[in-house]
Amino acid sequence: MIFNTPLFFLFFAIFILFYGFAFLRQKPKVYLILVGSLIFYGAWNYRFIPLLVGSGVADYFIALAIANATTQSKKKWLVTLSLVINLGILGLFKYADFVLYSVADFLLLFNYQASLPVLEWVLPVGISFYTFQSLSYTIDVYRGDMKPRKGLVEFVAALSFFPQLVAGPILRARQILPQMHKIALPTWQTAKHGILLITVGLIKKTGADLLAIPAQKAFEAKEAISDIELWTGVIAFAGQIYGDFSGYTDMAIGLALLLGFQIPLNFRVPYFALSPVDFWRRWHISLSSWLRDYLYFSLGGNRTGHRTRNVFITMLLGGLWHGAAWTFVAWGAFHGAIITATHYFAGLKFFESFNSKNNVGIKILKWFITFYLVLIGWVLFRAADIDTAIQMLIDMHTFSSTVEGDKTARVLFVIVIFWIAITHIVDYFILKGSEKFENKKWLFWSTMIFAHILCLFIGEPSDEFIYFQF
Amino acid sequence: MSSSISNSKPEDSVMNQTKSQEFESDYIASQQRRVYLKISLALFLVMATALASVRLFTYLNEASAEGIMGRVVEARKALPKIVKEEKDLVMMFGSSMVGAGFSPRQFDQQAKELGKDVKSFNFGFGGLNPFFQDYLSRRIQEAFQAENRKMKLVIIEFNPFQASQTRWNGAVPIVDSFLTMLATDKELFEIALNDPERGALLFNIKYLRNDISAEMITSFFGREMFPPKRAKRFDEPQELLDKRRELGNELNELFEKEYPDFEDARWHYGWQGGGTIPEERSERTIQVFKEYYETFQDDSMKKNRRLRRIESSGIESLHFEPLLVESFIRIVENFKPVAERVEIVMMPRDFKWINYTPEAQARLDQAVMQIEKATSLKINNHQLLDKITSDMYRDVTHLTKYAGDVTYTHHLVEEFAEHL
Repeated sequence: MIFNTPLFFLFFAIFILFYGFAFLRQKPKVYLILVGSLIFYGAWNYRFIPLLVGSGVADYFIALAIANATTQSKKKWLVTLSLVINLGILGLFKYADFVLYSVADFLLLFNYQASLPVLEWVLPVGISFYTFQSLSYTIDVYRGDMKPRKGLVEFVAALSFFPQLVAGPILRARQILPQMHKIALPTWQTAKHGILLITVGLIKKTGADLLAIPAQKAFEAKEAISDIELWTGVIAFAGQIYGDFSGYTDMAIGLALLLGFQIPLNFRVPYFALSPVDFWRRWHISLSSWLRDYLYFSLGGNRTGHRTRNVFITMLLGGLWHGAAWTFVAWGAFHGAIITATHYFAGLKFFESFNSKNNVGIKILKWFITFYLVLIGWVLFRAADIDTAIQMLIDMHTFSSTVEGDKTARVLFVIVIFWIAITHIVDYFILKGSEKFENKKWLFWSTMIFAHILCLFIGEPSDEFIYFQF
Repeated sequence: MSSSISNSKPEDSVMNQTKSQEFESDYIASQQRRVYLKISLALFLVMATALASVRLFTYLNEASAEGIMGRVVEARKALPKIVKEEKDLVMMFGSSMVGAGFSPRQFDQQAKELGKDVKSFNFGFGGLNPFFQDYLSRRIQEAFQAENRKMKLVIIEFNPFQASQTRWNGAVPIVDSFLTMLATDKELFEIALNDPERGALLFNIKYLRNDISAEMITSFFGREMFPPKRAKRFDEPQELLDKRRELGNELNELFEKEYPDFEDARWHYGWQGGGTIPEERSERTIQVFKEYYETFQDDSMKKNRRLRRIESSGIESLHFEPLLVESFIRIVENFKPVAERVEIVMMPRDFKWINYTPEAQARLDQAVMQIEKATSLKINNHQLLDKITSDMYRDVTHLTKYAGDVTYTHHLVEEFAEHL
């Protein structure tokens, strides 16, 4: 079930009817959230419900056992069990075939034709999100960062909470469990903010679907295209993935607000970033902070003198988290490399003084370099394979296309840039505080209606959220 | 105040506490109802206003099933009457090529000359590929089965380029809308059972959006804003274009003169879904038609029409869309229970201008074999009929009135007379 579909609207209308008017007390509400979330998930594929519930139940009891364990070695054994279960599920469903195919390709280098038993299993939607979420709970309990909470239903309801179930943000147990234990009543002010976020999310998703057209043209070129169309396509993909993912997150946060839950931000105007490090503080914050807290720090972080290695490993695995393909690994490696380079340059005396200057020109230059590097990364991310990505990068920089860009291509280029800028400016103002706007009744509601009209008029050439596949 | 508290009994205190908790709980419940009432109303009103604006837009632009596929709607409405016709029934079903190339009243006249008293109907519709035709053929089947009636003969056109991938890709934005226009609620419900998300979307389009999907609106405006790239066109002689416009205007005037009582219809029952016939027209009209079609015989015009067909349908490469070939097989199966005899034809092709590559021919042979195997019927290949010459096409696919259609209808009578 996707948020921007009539089926979800119907589902949510029925859900609100029970949630807001019939199930008025705490416990029944938690049960309702659990049932609603499982229906939401089951609408996609009910066969994977046991997997979702199973991993939650396992981690719930493992966390209790960790808390009750008397020795550190037993605790270690238990947290390892949780890691094996969660990463095992993820590995089996998401990476098994990738590993087997890669092994077969490697053996082929030595002229050995291996016939390996690939699984070809369907990837359960949102598996990367909920396994990481569940895992963070047992690790937090193991580290003593939180005490295990009693209430299996509350835990599974929190894990499967439908607004964020299939595409995040990845919530920590300590963020969601206390809220699930005492569900708050939304105020009219938070409800309006929720409606604003849902609407902005819908608009972003609708725009992203349109950006998919020039992006597809560039990345899946069936015919020769002009240089400007190639660049437009790459920039359009940057806009598409941002609109798609942050739009979904906005809707998730908005829906949660309507239900009385606060979900933390997942994006903070990422394309305004002034360095690759800054970019990762603004892009998919819940994943980057998860990787920082549970992987980077576990590897030793900055302390062991292996910062470069640790950054690189973290980004490499972060890339692989996005999908089982070498393009994602390359994307992660690329970001690892540019973050390392940023750290290196930041340490040089010349760049120290360069950085300290609060000069608009320097900021623009830093923004430009960062955005350019992010675009290069998106080519690796979106291309069908590494060879295609390299060829695209060569074509982008040699301007060697024999096809001339026409007026339509130039107009489209400007529209794509304009759309990315607009979505960022809107997000920036929401970040700064949208209360004043929300309290201007006529302006607020007429804007909401206009935005929904726009969404109902624009169809979806692609009806999937990109991040669902992760 | 403090004394009253200290003097109260312990059980009173418990009772007061319970009452206070109940009061607090009731207060929260009422607050909750109030805030969710506001939320529900807000969501409902925003969505309702947005949907109303879509309906207003479709109303103002005459975007509806009638406006978009008026000929199909009118033909469907005529079905109950057709089913009750006393004479043996013949139907030719297919694309706009059938619409232009089959003259039912002439078919009947010629059949009568052979002693066969039948009434035939033209069910050729532009813009419907086999996926949509499948649904339309189900509606025809239902109408005939409801009256327990069978047709004497059904001739189904297999149009290769209508089943191409290019054609299908072009139709993607309209699939949902057309489906809601042609499918029954039961069929939509079956889709919903398999895919609830799509089912809900289709019901939403049908009942809340007046059959007009967002994709249809987007593609309509998108094509205006960003027209698809076309191959360079050949310049058509201006004097020929001017002459065509002049003759076209004259034909309109002659029509109004000769048919003063004609009520606007895209599928006319009196004409059995076909057009006018030469016997009804004046000599002058026939002459103007001849001159009018001559203006289409210019090479540059033909080349442009050919390019258009290549771009819109892949007419010479014929990469078949499996879904459309399967849909065509279902069409044949849909007609079998309501026809004594079903024939499949491939209509004439302007082979002076449209020529398949060897690979395309192989793919066509393969598709034909698949259809023949699945339906147990032999396809009558009329693509290379000698009697249909290139000047009998008004473009490179549709036959001309009073020449192409007459010749081809004659051919059909000759070929299928024994089955009437």
